Amino acid sequence: MKLVTAIVKPFKLDEVKVAVKEVGVSGMTVSQVRGFGRTGGHIEIYRGKEYEFDFVDKIQIDIVCTDESVDVIVDAIVNAARTDIHGDGKVWVTDVSHVVRIRTDEHGPEAV
Amino acid sequence: MLAATTIIPYPSWLNPADNTWQLISATLVGLMSLPGLAVLYGGLVRKKWIVNTMLMVFTGFSITLVVWMLWGYNMAFGQLSHFGPTGSFWSGFVGHFTPLSTSGAEQGQAVSGANTLIPFHFPTATLAYFQFVFAAITPLLFLGGLVGRLKFKAWLLIVPLWITMVYCINAALMWGGGFFAQKGAVDFAGGYIIHLSAGIAAFVGAAIVGPRRWQDRENAFPSNLMMVAVGAGFLWLGWNGFNGGATFYAGADAASAVLNTNVATAVGVLTWLLMDMFFSRQKKPTFLGVINGMLCGLVAITPSAGFVNGTGAMVVGLVSSSVVWVSWNYLSRIRPFSKVDDAMGVIYTHGIAGLIGGLMIGVVADPSMSVYGVSGSNFKAPGGFSVGGWFYTHSFHQLWEQFLAALWVIGYTAVGTAVIFYLVKFLVGGLRESDETLAIGDLAIHDEEAFPDPTFGEPVLTPSHTHSDNK
Repeated sequence: MKLVTAIVKPFKLDEVKVAVKEVGVSGMTVSQVRGFGRTGGHIEIYRGKEYEFDFVDKIQIDIVCTDESVDVIVDAIVNAARTDIHGDGKVWVTDVSHVVRIRTDEHGPEAV
Repeated sequence: MLAATTIIPYPSWLNPADNTWQLISATLVGLMSLPGLAVLYGGLVRKKWIVNTMLMVFTGFSITLVVWMLWGYNMAFGQLSHFGPTGSFWSGFVGHFTPLSTSGAEQGQAVSGANTLIPFHFPTATLAYFQFVFAAITPLLFLGGLVGRLKFKAWLLIVPLWITMVYCINAALMWGGGFFAQKGAVDFAGGYIIHLSAGIAAFVGAAIVGPRRWQDRENAFPSNLMMVAVGAGFLWLGWNGFNGGATFYAGADAASAVLNTNVATAVGVLTWLLMDMFFSRQKKPTFLGVINGMLCGLVAITPSAGFVNGTGAMVVGLVSSSVVWVSWNYLSRIRPFSKVDDAMGVIYTHGIAGLIGGLMIGVVADPSMSVYGVSGSNFKAPGGFSVGGWFYTHSFHQLWEQFLAALWVIGYTAVGTAVIFYLVKFLVGGLRESDETLAIGDLAIHDEEAFPDPTFGEPVLTPSHTHSDNK
């Protein structure tokens, strides 16, 4: 089993959701996060005073999936989230040793 | 049983239209404080200071009313105490130190302190409430300079002392028929007594209390711009009562004062907007900038709303907003302005704008604008009153009177505020919350926060896991 984690631009969330649903994903978890990468942040002005915001709003997506489906899901996210402009984010995959579905107490791949 | 007599529900001197307008005006002015300033300040301070700031606004309003009933109203607007020869300063600087507590005192016909105006057509209770909401907003305005570090207990003492020793004296001198009123200085609705005075008190107070923590001062992130919009809206439209009620008669001058107030404000807004767009470093139109421009227009037209014509009102808005814009962006870098942490910038949008507005009377006041009676270019009926500025009279007389009164308000307010702050510092053992408290804010002082999150809290007496309905 794998955990697919993606950091994407907030306005791309809807497209990513549709894309992963199309490849058969049955659930995902979304968090509002902030971070910086190679691109800079932005300036905000309050009462004439400037503030630099290095940390940019992003959306983090977590999807637990089976070993077989991981490549399609990653491709779907990458294609849906790409704008070709700096700050499109990243996707990474980590191994998951154990999964339990709380309601049914199913263990392993059945719980995914 | 009542058939034979026609019951007239009020005395013959009472005019229901005047009384209604006066009470509505007073309520509009009250709304400028609650919720106006509470949410305006709440939106401008950091999230951790919202509750403390709003509570100071509500308590300040309450304390002022109690002081007002017990002695404040009669000190400012009652019969003058003659401590010196008639016409001298000492015969016209304060009224009587008596409560407003009897039925006659509330329901009798309102009179001005020195009885210089034509008789009012509403009861004293109306006048007292109207004048109260003006008194109440003044400490709430200078509070803007002190938020984010002032000790809560200190605030509860500063308000009654300041209302008594500073506000009531200034009001008696200018409005209660006192010395400056007799000399001919005018302040239509409080450009000096309220705004200039609040600006000076904020600045002197902030200097004595000391700056906010550097973290709060440098990272002065406003908590909620939408709440700033709500508060600013209450201020602007509430000002219709502020200036529209200051004539005390629901006549032509009340109407022109309302219209002048709004046009000066609109010009103030647009002036600041354009200055931001073309002269600021970032060249960006900003909402909080526009709110400053709005305040500049409102404050500067306050002393002159019923004395100027529409053109004069627009000039007042233009001059005030542009001068304050330059002060805000450049004067603020120079000592002593760069050294004093006036949190909301009250010295600029109220102090400097109020001073400019008061002086502009001496320049653009139109002698054809009649405060009382029929309006018209040649109105000279008994009791009629108007003011002429240099532009119309080619005389600097009015400007000189306005200048002298401004000097008094600045000097007396500065000294009075300093004395009160040092006295309170002595009485409550310091004017600042402790450094540990300042790091936390609302939670440390009030055990409340502006946006509590129920996800992470549960009742202490009945924790959720002990509840019988919890299955």
